Amino acid sequence: MMTEYKIEAIKTFDYKKPVIDKGYANQTLLVDISNSDISIHPVTEKMKEVFIGGKGFDLWLLWNAVNGTTKWSDPDNAICIASGPMGGTPVYPGSGKSIVTTISPLTGSVIDSNVGGYFGPYLKFSGFDALQIRGKTQTDIVILIDGIDEKIQIFETSGLPDDSYALSSILTEHFAQGKPRNISVVSTGPGAKHTLMGCLNFTWYDLKRKRARYKQAGRGGIGSVFADKCIKAVVARWDRVSVNTNNPSDGIALKEIGKKHSREIVDLDPKQNEMAKIGTTHLVTIMNDFDLLPTHNFQYGQHPEAENVGQEVYRRIFDTGYDGCWMGCTVACSHGVKDFVPLTGPYRGEKVFVDGPEYETIAGCGSNLGVFDPHTVVEMNFYCDAYGLDTISVGTSIAFAMECFSMNLINETHTGGINLSFGNRSAALEIVHQMAQGEGFGHIVGRGVREMKSILARDYKADLNIMQDIGMEAKGLEFSEYMTKESLAQQGGYGLALKGPQHDEAWLIFLDMVHNFMPSFEQKAEALHWFPMFRTWFSLCGLCKLPWNDIIPEDNKDTQEPAKVMKHVEWYTQYYTAVTGRHTTPEGLIRMSEAVYNFQRIFNLKMGFGTREHDNIPYRAMGPVKPVEYESRHERYDKELVEKHHVDITDMSTEDKIRTLRKFRETLYEQLKDAVYKRRGWTTDGIPTIDTVTRLGIDFPEVLELLNAKLGDDQG
Amino acid sequence: MIRVNGKRQFWYEGMTIKDLLEDLEDSHHYAVIRINNKHVSRPYFEKTLIPDNSEVFLISLIAGG
Repeated sequence: MMTEYKIEAIKTFDYKKPVIDKGYANQTLLVDISNSDISIHPVTEKMKEVFIGGKGFDLWLLWNAVNGTTKWSDPDNAICIASGPMGGTPVYPGSGKSIVTTISPLTGSVIDSNVGGYFGPYLKFSGFDALQIRGKTQTDIVILIDGIDEKIQIFETSGLPDDSYALSSILTEHFAQGKPRNISVVSTGPGAKHTLMGCLNFTWYDLKRKRARYKQAGRGGIGSVFADKCIKAVVARWDRVSVNTNNPSDGIALKEIGKKHSREIVDLDPKQNEMAKIGTTHLVTIMNDFDLLPTHNFQYGQHPEAENVGQEVYRRIFDTGYDGCWMGCTVACSHGVKDFVPLTGPYRGEKVFVDGPEYETIAGCGSNLGVFDPHTVVEMNFYCDAYGLDTISVGTSIAFAMECFSMNLINETHTGGINLSFGNRSAALEIVHQMAQGEGFGHIVGRGVREMKSILARDYKADLNIMQDIGMEAKGLEFSEYMTKESLAQQGGYGLALKGPQHDEAWLIFLDMVHNFMPSFEQKAEALHWFPMFRTWFSLCGLCKLPWNDIIPEDNKDTQEPAKVMKHVEWYTQYYTAVTGRHTTPEGLIRMSEAVYNFQRIFNLKMGFGTREHDNIPYRAMGPVKPVEYESRHERYDKELVEKHHVDITDMSTEDKIRTLRKFRETLYEQLKDAVYKRRGWTTDGIPTIDTVTRLGIDFPEVLELLNAKLGDDQG
Repeated sequence: MIRVNGKRQFWYEGMTIKDLLEDLEDSHHYAVIRINNKHVSRPYFEKTLIPDNSEVFLISLIAGG
């Protein structure tokens, strides 16, 4: 497709790039697009000590950019993108991540997303540990960070395509100067402009397939903030990368530990989940087997057709070849579909390359909609990416709308004639196309589940109480794609997550429900302390968590704490020390995260959230809402009522049983909150105490002022 | 004959995954087993037959997400 476009520089800022020192550029870049002001700011030793890098730096920059009343669309809201001290290391698997934060249009509070692609490392090697974009413009702009020619440029543009698929390809070619691998593009699409669930696509150049591939910073509508600021793209340009580009403290030790982990993955991945061949698609049938695969808006965890969207199918559909979203990563799980021909939309009948699908997209845009056609999932994946939409929020929001339709809370007069029955593939795709245009019922779906509930109640008189129970959002963010009804720990993993129900904080379903590793409240609370902290650490350092526990050592089961995969945790301490020169221990890694984690909790507080009431989850996440759900698993629920809670159910109706079970389960969730807050050093209202923030070194004057105002007499 | 995590193991007609795991002391670790390219989860261990000449991988699945 030929596109005539104009890109005209309106600002050029020359700079001298610093020598990277032990993983740090030691400066950040601020671009205020309201007045095209570009400035460079030092990274202090205190910043490195307390916030480490990556998400930590992002949060600190964002904290200083916004105040408690800043809305997502205000010019003061910033988009912050950072790598981390280990980001950009080619020898250690999973070391190319970028972490993005902003104030979310869905939650009103801080959101973070961890994404692959080359941007974060290229940004750092160009001289910046983090990028902060503030302000707003009225005309489309592209920002270039050119580490080769040592200049930052802002361009006004016209005529560029709206969709991210074509846009990232054109901009890669435009800035490549014959070397497309030197380019990484961050962009979004028209869906981001017209919804609150826009994602950002981060590219990496695939030399073999000669095309820009992309990964998504999906959650929380960061793409919508980007589009609202009228940013078409941010482009980073950098040249060759080696182990020495980070100028590590001990390059020999780094190579040794990196090769060890890389080699182990090459040896064991083929014996375990074959992520280098099938990505995360193996999870589909496994989740289905354990009644954990969401189907029909999280009503059920299993479906007889699940295999149709499982690994065996995608193994055949995926294009074979190396699929690492960062150089040299041996997990290499970023698979794609070549020569896919969409049946709908602007690319109908054309051959396209689709990056994905991963498990979340299959479950969100497939099983949870009652869709078990692998090609529809691929088409949903393609258009969500091209339009700049988060497949998880899209899937969970359409699933909610479909259940409302199935319950007659809404009908075709409300949906513009679309039959939103579960399983209606063309209806699901039509909604996605409408979301991209901001038209029809898709426009309402694009507001997300929380706002949709209000709109349907206000405009269509739909029953708000039932929608509160079945609308799968918490803190305003749509749930990612795991069933939690039978895992109290995972209910906490979602409900107590700082940004909302995303599994990247704590994925405890298997440990809790399948392996029963944590039967007591205290054990669950301990897990809901350690796992979120360790997972947070990856985002401080510019890393992917998959190498930690998705491919595990053969002798792991014989270790004292197999759930933590301590052999790898030890390797990560060595990795951190080899790059930064700072000695650490496994406890040290947790301590690093704890400071940033608590700071983010306090950031929520600053934005008007971050207390106990905001950790609530809809009842659908805890147990059966409707009689049909209860009856489908009645042996399980009856047994729990009788054996665990000693209830005589002889003369009880299903509705009575649901009400009784609900009381027990809601009480358990509240007890879990108490246990977790206590373990984390928070008050019973979920607020970090003064002692906690002092211990963690985040007792900044503004933090103490905020805590003193909120805590009053309740010090824990 | 089958191979289990790379080691040769005796096979007999009618052998299920449950039968295989009964001979292992640490079988409780394994929630998922891979037979050649196919994952089989614990709820199906009892009724899943292991074909002769299979490559079997024991996976103590704790990751995901």
